[in-house]
Amino acid sequence: MWMVNSRFSPGARRLAFACFALLVAALFLLPGQIQGLLQYLDGPVGHVVRVPLEAVASIDTGIADRWQQYLALQGVREENQQLRKDIELLRGQNNQLRESSAATERLTALLQFKEQALPAMVAAQVIGRDATNRYRAIILNKGESDGVKPDMGVITPAGVVGRVVKTTGATSVVLLVTDPNNAIAGLIQRTRDEGIVEGTQQGLAQLKYIPLLSTLRDGDRVVTSGLVGGFPRGLALGTITHIDKQEGALFQSAELMPEVDVGRVEEVLVIQASYGQSTKVMGGMDLPGKPSP
Amino acid sequence: MKFLFYLALVLLLVPLQTTVLPHVSVWNIKPDMGLVAAVFIGLFAGEMEGLLLGLAIGWVLSLFSAGELWLSLLTYGGVGLLAGFLGRQVSQVTSISLGVGLLLVSVASGLLALANFKNIDMSQMWGGVESIVLPQACFDGAVGAGLYWLLSQRFDVTRLRTE
Repeated sequence: MWMVNSRFSPGARRLAFACFALLVAALFLLPGQIQGLLQYLDGPVGHVVRVPLEAVASIDTGIADRWQQYLALQGVREENQQLRKDIELLRGQNNQLRESSAATERLTALLQFKEQALPAMVAAQVIGRDATNRYRAIILNKGESDGVKPDMGVITPAGVVGRVVKTTGATSVVLLVTDPNNAIAGLIQRTRDEGIVEGTQQGLAQLKYIPLLSTLRDGDRVVTSGLVGGFPRGLALGTITHIDKQEGALFQSAELMPEVDVGRVEEVLVIQASYGQSTKVMGGMDLPGKPSP
Repeated sequence: MKFLFYLALVLLLVPLQTTVLPHVSVWNIKPDMGLVAAVFIGLFAGEMEGLLLGLAIGWVLSLFSAGELWLSLLTYGGVGLLAGFLGRQVSQVTSISLGVGLLLVSVASGLLALANFKNIDMSQMWGGVESIVLPQACFDGAVGAGLYWLLSQRFDVTRLRTE
């Protein structure tokens, strides 16, 4: 029942095993160098792979559009789409207004408020989902050549979508807010308590490390705190649906319903200005009692 | 000619895996065609080609995934090498045995990936095994077995493997 293939000598077999053993050793001993070496090739390969990827994505979008038009009444569908866009826009505006109102009340008492500069953003299209099932991520058609870099925040008018984790020359991978590996600094809009928003295995999100004395309740909205990462303050993350307060625990946590339906998102905005740049105006404010440089 | 075939395979795997397969996913789980391709190349072309193609597939797919590069290289490269080795040792590969082999390999790579996750506790890890790793392994095994069965209906696969 055992056979030997005459095409391959035992030498070739040994060579294959030796190559693999060498690779394993190199990956564990020199991980940075190996990744750095391959990063030189990521850009050109990204440009090459983008061609079939965008072609298939456009065919896919075309078929999906035709199918939806066939199924639904065209006029109603278009009207519905327009209304959904309006709702998203209004949600975003509403959220910004609430945040502005809360911020104005607090800040006017403390300092002379200066207008915060809007961060620079680039629009991108979703052309695919993560190549594996293990991560909740989307692929965008904008990459390093468009100024997209790792750690930049990704949003829609309704709220936060995720964070860029990987880029090639022409594409980028965005880890969604619902992925357990993602962590974004969040703030409960009503109580101003801070925490960390992480994804869950169920495809939702949770706010962790909330102070025990916080008076949070179901329905409270959570926004970005702007302290860490590529997000300015006040972008909607989600709404609290369940509070978990255990006896003896140092913190409480809460389940969140993400503001954006990340499973259906098609177009997004990448926040290009980093945290430091976007908060330059805020950082430059003359706080009372703070000595001027 | 073979090089062009391999190049086309690697390039087409990306849109297939990221754009087409999400439409046929069951419970949000899609088969890992990169793993299936690495196994088939290893089985039909030997350890060396299985290893090299596996590494190429792992590298290119990792560019379009949030996962770690080293994990992708190890998984796909190792699977190609292992398939090449086993394919040479075993005379009768059936669609069932190939499916079971793929299932085991998929479980192993899924567990390795989960163990590499940050911020998850044991209950979340077990949830990940139940909801992602095991369904995906079943899916991978079924797709691999189905493809091998289709190939065996059309070609003499034993001859293909020994030529």
